Amino acid sequence: MVINMRLFIYLIKQAYLNIKQNVMFSAAVIMTMAIALGALLCVATLAYVMLIKPLPYPEQDQLYAVDQQLINSENKTDSNAFIYPNLMHLYQNQQVFEHSALMYLDGSVVTSLPSEPMMEIKYVSPQWFKLLNINTIIGRPFNDNEALNTYNPVAVLSYHTWQTEFSSDPNILNKNITLDGKSFSIIGVIDPAFKELPIAGAGYNTQLYLPWDFNSVSEHDRKQWGNDDGGLMFIGKTASGSTLSVEQMSQQLTQLIDQQWQIQVSDQHFFKDWRIQINTSPLKTKIISGSTKTVYLLLIGAIGLTLISIANIANLLLSRNAERQQQLAITAAVGATSRHIFYTLLCEIGLLMIAAMVFAQFIAVLGFDLLHYYLNDHLPRLNELSLNGVSVLVSFGSLIILTLALSYVAKRSVNYRALNASLQASGKGNAVQVSKNTRSAFIISQVAIATTLIFINVLLFKDALTLIEQPLGYQPDHTYAIVLSVPEMKKEARLSQLNALKTALSNTAKIDIVSQSMRPSIFGTYALTTAHDNKGYSISGKDIDEHYFKLINQRLLAGDNFTQQQVDNREPLIIVNDIFAKRLAQHGDVIGTTFNNGARIIGIVESITIPGTSVKHPRFYYSASRTRNMLLVKVKPNQSLTREEVIKIIKSVDKRLSLFSFSSLTHNKEQRLFSATTTATVTTALTIITLILSAIGLFGVLKYSTRMRRFEIGTRMAIGANGRTILSMIIKENLLALLAGLIASVAILLIIYFSIKQPLTQLNVIELITIYLSTSVTVIVVCFFACYLPVQHFIKQPVINNLKTSE
Amino acid sequence: MTKVITLTNVSKIYETEELETHALKSINLTINQGEYIAICGPSGCGKSTLLSILGLLDQASGGEYTLAGDSVTSLSLNQAAQIRNCQIGFVFQSFNLIDQLSVFDNVALPLRYHHENFTAKEIAQRVNNCLEKVGLSHRSQHTPNQLSGGQQQRVAIARAIIANPAILLVDEPTGNLDSSAGDKVMALLEQLNQQGTTICMVTHDPRYADMATRKIQLLDGQILQAPQSPALAS
Repeated sequence: MVINMRLFIYLIKQAYLNIKQNVMFSAAVIMTMAIALGALLCVATLAYVMLIKPLPYPEQDQLYAVDQQLINSENKTDSNAFIYPNLMHLYQNQQVFEHSALMYLDGSVVTSLPSEPMMEIKYVSPQWFKLLNINTIIGRPFNDNEALNTYNPVAVLSYHTWQTEFSSDPNILNKNITLDGKSFSIIGVIDPAFKELPIAGAGYNTQLYLPWDFNSVSEHDRKQWGNDDGGLMFIGKTASGSTLSVEQMSQQLTQLIDQQWQIQVSDQHFFKDWRIQINTSPLKTKIISGSTKTVYLLLIGAIGLTLISIANIANLLLSRNAERQQQLAITAAVGATSRHIFYTLLCEIGLLMIAAMVFAQFIAVLGFDLLHYYLNDHLPRLNELSLNGVSVLVSFGSLIILTLALSYVAKRSVNYRALNASLQASGKGNAVQVSKNTRSAFIISQVAIATTLIFINVLLFKDALTLIEQPLGYQPDHTYAIVLSVPEMKKEARLSQLNALKTALSNTAKIDIVSQSMRPSIFGTYALTTAHDNKGYSISGKDIDEHYFKLINQRLLAGDNFTQQQVDNREPLIIVNDIFAKRLAQHGDVIGTTFNNGARIIGIVESITIPGTSVKHPRFYYSASRTRNMLLVKVKPNQSLTREEVIKIIKSVDKRLSLFSFSSLTHNKEQRLFSATTTATVTTALTIITLILSAIGLFGVLKYSTRMRRFEIGTRMAIGANGRTILSMIIKENLLALLAGLIASVAILLIIYFSIKQPLTQLNVIELITIYLSTSVTVIVVCFFACYLPVQHFIKQPVINNLKTSE
Repeated sequence: MTKVITLTNVSKIYETEELETHALKSINLTINQGEYIAICGPSGCGKSTLLSILGLLDQASGGEYTLAGDSVTSLSLNQAAQIRNCQIGFVFQSFNLIDQLSVFDNVALPLRYHHENFTAKEIAQRVNNCLEKVGLSHRSQHTPNQLSGGQQQRVAIARAIIANPAILLVDEPTGNLDSSAGDKVMALLEQLNQQGTTICMVTHDPRYADMATRKIQLLDGQILQAPQSPALAS
């Protein structure tokens, strides 16, 4: 039977009137579905953009990122950053790619501008612009005039920099910009349509492009075969039709680089049995490599919430069907067929779903904004998020599937034969019923989804909380990190300026201590070889002065701190942390141990934890140069320091000095813990939402089924069953579904565990089992109350009320 | 003659915010062991309310209720359930059988809730006896929806008598049956009464009311005439 247009219009009108008459019901369905679908739409779009959508560059499937891995004699990765001469050798000799480009990331203060802003700079070879098809709206990008070793002092501005720092000056070309005492002539402005390649990390926005030649790696370091630098990057584009696999590319490039490197370090005992591995990966894979777990977890969360919401809405629809049995019965009595009843339900559910989908679009857009605002520095390609073809497809697909599925479930609850009879019979409310199997399926799905989601959330929350609460081993409070931009000057002049600045800072009333050191979280990697047994260590280290440990309150466990004289003379002394000391202690006394470079250990300090990381590393500290441009400043209790105050002090010493960066250690700690804090907040919210939604869902199913069994409960009580017997009967009947749900959750968790290759948590098996059992107990308690609440109404009222035809 | 039920000044008032409805007004009633009482009256006169109070399905608003010598005026829900289970048997107009259970299990249900733990053998014996009494032992493994209305009501009667109650409360037992099936059910009730079961039945049908040993006429919640039990009168 095909429905005719007139009837269809009538049914739509009736559906609209029904929705209007049941405002609370309609609002509950629309809002629940809109929130769940909005979240799903937002996360599905995010997943599409990150995992499937091609990069916005021509022939993006031919673009590859190349990384260097330094592997030590124990076959463990020592570092994942390029060594400068290796990179240059790769660039100049590789045959794998048709085109390749170099990139180096750094920041610098632009002293030619009145506000002296700090800018994010990309030092690139000219091919960078070609590979990514970066066009300019004014002037030109780099070309062969800026090829390697041309030292052509030119600059290209980002569109945003041109707008904000140069007020969109149309005559910008050939104007000069000065950094670190060097002047660069502006030759172009990048097209605003260009989407930044987030290879340097999510949220990174280049403000200025300078030729590769001017990168800030010192002439000395450019020749070092043992120093790696995380700012060095390489991308390549294969010739079209290239048949080389990623493994073959990696193999060829490894051979090229490792061969040369082995020759260069053959005289260095430290690197004996070390090797270089070159890894090639599609540019798209490289960009999303650290974020896939987050995306999959968001996707699981959104799908889980949507499923719970769908189950809840199905409950609402079934309850509503039961309430309007009389209406349906009259419809049937006047000639509506079973199919008409289905169309009636379909029209009403369809209208509700359309309304929900409209709201879902707004919620998804709001979600994009929230993701952009909060996670821009953590997830790549968020600037490409928008409602697109995929969103539309997901919307329409969900709309059709949900409408049909919910209509089918609603129709299944209507027993058409019984509906016909219900008008004449005494009316026991049994024409609209959900079968036991359907009810069990609801309970199983609710329990399985809720347990899975809550378990995953609790795991992530616990890991995040461990990161947030772990003791750091130092005090970041009331401390600020200052980085200065110092123009080129003679060493003596620089020393004098910096001493004058330290004195000026120390003389400021609110300042307690000044140390010529970097932030506690910054370390470099160094090669140390013990003198007595020639054992090599690749160790994190940093240069500090004599005030550093006191300033950050890091405990000295044994030996001595540096003295002022030792730092002034840069004596070859080092202080190690307890972890490194433990390693060295296997070979005798730690204090007094000397290394091949002449350094001698004079003290041991307690190890610190970098906020946001969970592992303590072996580390060492050596004396810093007094010409170091990095300072730590601790203010007195209840005092604070502003950027303006620091600039004022700096300018009072020498107007040529500039403030490169200024931040509080507390702020740095918060930034490093942002991911953990966000995880803790989101997982807490999700756990609460999941518990509430599943409790409502379970309550809905059991309330409905209990109501449908009112006569049965009344009859059982009439012949002697008491409240406890009835309650235990309901619990026993649902126990099997509850257990099935819990087993299903274990199955889902195992599937997730084997699907997501990255480890979900650091917890051990016993902790995992404990968390799972706690989660299960929580869900069981929720189920118990969901059983008890609907039944208690019937067991507490006079039995006769349960046997009456109307409640 | 042993008194099974004594009601003294029992009343029932249904209250809403706007209205007070006096469903029963100062009812005094005694039912003796072995009696077969018919409660008659027009719709809304309080017959079903009276039966609900007698069956401890509902509580009276006032007055005293004694069942088998014990006051049952203010019992907890659990105590009321236990008395319903052991001392009262119900037969409803719409049978109220549980569709998911077989005839056997429907009849056995009161024994499952009984404070004595019956063995499976005892239960089977009792159920078979009862089904035999109502002539349905051959249908014990059927489900209620496989039976006719009259058969369903006979199953309900078997269920009502299985725990040997002090009194059988019967609410319009033929209301949902045709006359032939109704007659069979009434014959069964009469037979049970003759075997010693005390019955209190609500009915509209004067034909069936006449089958009782005593008729109580209700109007507007009051007993119009409550002639003494013939046994007491004599």
